[in-house]
Amino acid sequence: MNAIETRSLTKNYKSKTAVDKIDLTIKEGELFALLGVNGAGKTTTVRMLTGLSLPTSGECRVCGNDCVSERGEIKKIVGISPQDTAVAENLTVYENLSFMCGIYGHSKEKTEQKTAEMIRLFKMDEVKNSRAKTLSGGWKRKLSIAMALISEPKVLFLDEPTLGLDVLARRELWSIVERLKGGTTIVLTTHYMEEAERLADRIAIMLNGKIAASGTLSELEKLSGKTGLEESFVEIAERFRKDNVI
Amino acid sequence: MNRILSFSKRNFLEIIRDPLSYIFCLGFPLIMLVVMTFVNDTIPKETGMTIFRIDNLSGGIAVFGMTFLMMFMCLSVVQDRAGAFLIRLYATPMKSGDFISGYIFPMFILSIIQSAITFFASFVISLITDVEINVLGMCLAVISLIPTTIMFISLGLLFGTLFSEKAAPGLCSIIISLGSFLGGIWFDVKGAGGIIEKVCTVLPFYHSVESARAAINLNSDLIVHLLITAGYAAVITAVSVIVFKNKMRADQS
Repeated sequence: MNAIETRSLTKNYKSKTAVDKIDLTIKEGELFALLGVNGAGKTTTVRMLTGLSLPTSGECRVCGNDCVSERGEIKKIVGISPQDTAVAENLTVYENLSFMCGIYGHSKEKTEQKTAEMIRLFKMDEVKNSRAKTLSGGWKRKLSIAMALISEPKVLFLDEPTLGLDVLARRELWSIVERLKGGTTIVLTTHYMEEAERLADRIAIMLNGKIAASGTLSELEKLSGKTGLEESFVEIAERFRKDNVI
Repeated sequence: MNRILSFSKRNFLEIIRDPLSYIFCLGFPLIMLVVMTFVNDTIPKETGMTIFRIDNLSGGIAVFGMTFLMMFMCLSVVQDRAGAFLIRLYATPMKSGDFISGYIFPMFILSIIQSAITFFASFVISLITDVEINVLGMCLAVISLIPTTIMFISLGLLFGTLFSEKAAPGLCSIIISLGSFLGGIWFDVKGAGGIIEKVCTVLPFYHSVESARAAINLNSDLIVHLLITAGYAAVITAVSVIVFKNKMRADQS
């Protein structure tokens, strides 16, 4: 079954087209990466898929729910870790997690159970009583993802999860995302080739609001005639530029 | 209800854990209460000027303190908007009513606590300065200030929704200055007369201060001032709710 389907999904901001007639199919349990440079339209796509923004035209469905008419339903089944770390700065790690449980209407028992589970999963025991504002970028990002995951979403959106992190924090976050694979459908936006290459089951290359190519790494390599994601990305981007006269 | 309580708790904790909120919302008004009591001591009795006598001053200072709550309300909203925190919450099942209630409720609780502390400090000062102040009147003043509280909280919500992180604090400072000046906290509005009196009586701040003073003195003028303040509070609250809902809708369009 497909977790996400889009048909000619388009978003215009005044005269600028941020997302241009994209067709996507993401299977349940898949980790799907939207790869592209800054301004490619990745975040706008995520905003439409999470009900944060309405499409200008086209269709999108998340777990069978329409992104326009069933936005309320979508918000119950998705979790998002936004590009900027979205945590309550004066609350502790524990309080941030239990706050999100309250937002999703969890009972007291479930709140305690889910909070303990997230602290264990993200190895946050040593910082659970620390206020978010005192945490390093890596810890904050982990907390942000844990907050997105605590509602047991069917689809988890990670918008540039390792942006601005040092190499060690990035590797640690990757291993956490790898552990999540298979259970929840994950949509990851990134402009780091290595990240998409290591984590994603399938990758869509976004350029200028369009999907230039999509498939597994080997499919993209075959399509481009190059080896490795970075070389394939550059080749596909070059061809796209020529074809679309950017 | 769970969502409102969770969001209220978060907002409450965010404010009480910010040291600046103690300085501005509690420390500064209490300092003014003490300073103005000293000023009152220096005023010769023959002048008949009683504006800074504790029974007149306490109501004004309680309103003055609430203007800072407006600023903190505004900053809460504007900071949530500026960061990605509201984006995260917009992607949850939270509705606009949950947001509005979650912002207003903790501020309301804080304002009641703030008023109670201000009036308690006033009571202590009244004992020291040997000025009679009606305890029952002060309890009534806490209640009579509810429309004023709602008005300032709603103003904070309105400014936080409409303006940027840079513009909003400046605008709040203007309202704080205007509110305390035109509210007649620092001078006798009736004594000033003329255009000043007209402007003061048209705006809500004067009626807020006078409703608290009337309550303390168990004066029947309370009803009129209370009704005018309640009218302003209702209009400003309605406008801020509409503006917040529209902004939320626009952010997600």
